[in-house]
Amino acid sequence: MAFNLTRRKFLQTASLAAAAVPLSKVVSANTGVTKVSLEAKGTMGDTTVVGGLCEMCFWRCQLVGKVRDGQLMKLEGNPKSIDNGTAICARGNAGVKLLYDVDRLKYPLKNVGKRGEPVWKRISWKEALDECGSKLKAVVDQHGPQGICVFPHGASAKYPMHFFERTVGTHNVSEASFFQCRGIRDAAYVATIGKAPGEMVDMSNTKVIFLVGSHLGENIHVSHIKSYMKGLQGGAKLVVADPRYSASAAKSDIWVQIKPGTDTAYLLAIMNYLVQNNKYDKEFVAKHTSGFDKFSAAIAEWTLDKAAKECDIPAAQIKEVAELLAANAPNVAIHPGRHVSWYGNDFQRERSLGCLTALLGAYYVKGGWVPPKKPAKLGKTSWAPQEHGNEHNLNFIKDKKVYAFNPPGTPTELIRDCAISGKPYPIKGCVVWGQNPMQTIPNQEKMKQVFNAMDFVMCVDVMPTDVTMWADILLPESSYLERHDEIKTGVGKVKATDKEPTQFIAPRMPLVEAMFERKDQVYITNEIAKRMGHEKDIPVQTLEELVDKTLASANITLASVKAEGGIHLQPGFSPYGVPEDFMVQLFNEDVAAAGHPGAPTYKAVEDVPAGYARLLYGRAPVHTFNRSQNNVWLNHEMSTNPVWLNDEVAAKLGLKDGDTVGFINSEGVKSRTTTIVKVTPGIRKDAVYMYHGFGSANPLMTAGVGQGVDDTSLITKIAVDPETGCHGMRNNFVKLTKDGKTLDIPA
Amino acid sequence: MSESTTSQDIASLYRFMAQCLQYPDPEWMNDDFFNVFYNLLGTFGAVTEGKEIRNTLENSSDYIEDLQIEYTRLFINGVPHVVAPPFASVYMDKSIQGSFALRTLNFYRDKGFMMEDNADLPDHLVHELEFLSLLAKEEDFAGEEEFLSKLFRPWYKQFCPRVAEETRHPYYRMVVTLIDSFTKEEEEDGFQLNEA
Repeated sequence: MAFNLTRRKFLQTASLAAAAVPLSKVVSANTGVTKVSLEAKGTMGDTTVVGGLCEMCFWRCQLVGKVRDGQLMKLEGNPKSIDNGTAICARGNAGVKLLYDVDRLKYPLKNVGKRGEPVWKRISWKEALDECGSKLKAVVDQHGPQGICVFPHGASAKYPMHFFERTVGTHNVSEASFFQCRGIRDAAYVATIGKAPGEMVDMSNTKVIFLVGSHLGENIHVSHIKSYMKGLQGGAKLVVADPRYSASAAKSDIWVQIKPGTDTAYLLAIMNYLVQNNKYDKEFVAKHTSGFDKFSAAIAEWTLDKAAKECDIPAAQIKEVAELLAANAPNVAIHPGRHVSWYGNDFQRERSLGCLTALLGAYYVKGGWVPPKKPAKLGKTSWAPQEHGNEHNLNFIKDKKVYAFNPPGTPTELIRDCAISGKPYPIKGCVVWGQNPMQTIPNQEKMKQVFNAMDFVMCVDVMPTDVTMWADILLPESSYLERHDEIKTGVGKVKATDKEPTQFIAPRMPLVEAMFERKDQVYITNEIAKRMGHEKDIPVQTLEELVDKTLASANITLASVKAEGGIHLQPGFSPYGVPEDFMVQLFNEDVAAAGHPGAPTYKAVEDVPAGYARLLYGRAPVHTFNRSQNNVWLNHEMSTNPVWLNDEVAAKLGLKDGDTVGFINSEGVKSRTTTIVKVTPGIRKDAVYMYHGFGSANPLMTAGVGQGVDDTSLITKIAVDPETGCHGMRNNFVKLTKDGKTLDIPA
Repeated sequence: MSESTTSQDIASLYRFMAQCLQYPDPEWMNDDFFNVFYNLLGTFGAVTEGKEIRNTLENSSDYIEDLQIEYTRLFINGVPHVVAPPFASVYMDKSIQGSFALRTLNFYRDKGFMMEDNADLPDHLVHELEFLSLLAKEEDFAGEEEFLSKLFRPWYKQFCPRVAEETRHPYYRMVVTLIDSFTKEEEEDGFQLNEA
């Protein structure tokens, strides 16, 4: 450009004055910086703001923020917390960087390009809400409420999810936390002990911690890990079944290097051994279980030798585990797991864990499965439930359920198939709220087909993610550090020597004000509701009102809790002692009546084809799912997800630690990016492993894009758990690629 | 030209440059605005650049939307990535709301200014230009110079080339160049231009 003045020359320009005169006529009257009539203040110093509730993961550690001039400088655990205490994890600390992430969504955006290849234009909230409201209303008017599908995740998604489910009336809601994570566990335990188990194992007081797949230590939830560590420090034995030498396996007394997919056979053999050798808790079984005879007959085939062969582990090791559990029963912690949507045979594995706990009499006893006595249930302020019948419920054919034991919502595959085929009815509107279905739900191409079948797609999130590229309207949400929100309740001890626990109630409070034009879920949902003709149904006007109404049932308010330091404490009660009416269904007649095995049953999964390895994935200690890949602190700590490869396999392939590789799966899908190899004896030869949640395809994530490999992109074969309709995501097989060549995995 | 007249002219220029970088809206970005803009460019000998902008606008079916899309891509959220977030902290702290933003706010305060409730972050380019305008209006030349050298130029000289090189619209190339010229001292590049 020819234009190259400097300031001095600028000011020397003779006609500057003439040119400057009209400038003031075309500028707006107001400025963002104004003169203060009072004496200017200096910096205000740091203040400690209480009431933070972490959402870098779902564990909800209680926080305080160190704030200077409205700027969050640092996050710490709330000193008043009897849950996480003053400790927070790496991710919790890095919440500061989520808050101030340059790439965060700031204003409502309209996609004036194509879905998947967006061209964004900032628009006003009014225009954005008008468009969302009118487009969604048009879908409902033309196709009925079932024409809308919703993919929600996280605390902020509950209120809008209830609006679309209860008020608008669509059943087509699929939460990743259920259908791609823990829904199977919850459904299986409900069918076994009548309630979801959470992770309520009393590890700090146990004699044996029994894990199947759970890799505690790589999956950090502060109070849970504290309990785990306290148990280990107290001398608890640790038994870990995992194909990989995980962080837990590294601390274990017995590492069962099990063949992937065979865990249920391992559990059945342990249970059969206990039964056959009279090493189970007969008193507990007699008093608190049903169906023992059918159950014991059904599992009788599972001898140690049969399981050893199936699981590719020594029979003596299974026996050793069974003996260890029996010797320490009932004070044994059989962990129900968390992310359990593995192989499409997972309901039966989770039932097995519930039944094993019963055989050991390990419910409601020290060191066993013990649900803490939390504060009485708080009010449930939200959109009022309404009956919508099951005519358009995809999980029903006439009056019979397709998946009899589904967790809340509709199984994802039923929604996707319906959206793509238009049968039995069209689904034409999609609301994605806090979830990233592109990296949570297997088979990305199918997900793209869903979005392309829509008349309208709206996304609400704090960050641009892989799914936001598919939005027509993209709305910026205030983060967990900038809004009031859900309430964490639980129990703990104020002092370690306390005999009885203390209950706590911790509502989320903002630590700083929301920046730019970010809005919370109540504002957004209500404004859309008004535009869809549901103004009269709106339950609260503000998020603060919602929290306060919920707290009212405990006779506390946001103001009173804030005055208490952000956490309300009240006396608790001992959690021990089996309730008289507590029953474990070792054989579940309802499951049998629905056409599934009533007793826990092993169903083999597809074996690894020659030349391939099974793709396993898991969690990283410094990342949460795919949500934190753009966080610069966490990205700095772990920017990629090396693939674990057995050392003997690596030697045969000529690969060494740090080599760069890509992947191709058994269906011909190639990874978009590459990662590095971690050569280790700590994984079986027939499997490879990587951390989940890397390799984002969205260039808007300037730190996370293309870093490592997106495991979900390689999970194209879909397994569905027959009882629950949840996905199984570890039945995909891969080869490595290097320098354009495909490397067969040697047997 | 008296000194006070010059200071008011400088104030007007800063204020106008701040306006140029507001989100495009037909409320203010209209024929009157562009006439003033072209006139200003002509004053500084940038007639060719003015014509290029005029041609681009005239050949568009909706030039406001074009500029909105480009503004969004450059400064808010863009594909493949946002080109140049207009916040000092992004360049100095690699973050929104870093310590540099705080230093900027404190400078405002020391001079007796504050942020309005509905304002953007204190280190947003628009607000920094507004602040410089207010300082010029008060004839606080020392303050203006200090702010420019300590808090404005260190990040703006990183910001400007990103926009100038990557923008797809001549309007934004011209605006950031104009601001660059108006805030840049010769000494910044380590040598004194020979004016002879």
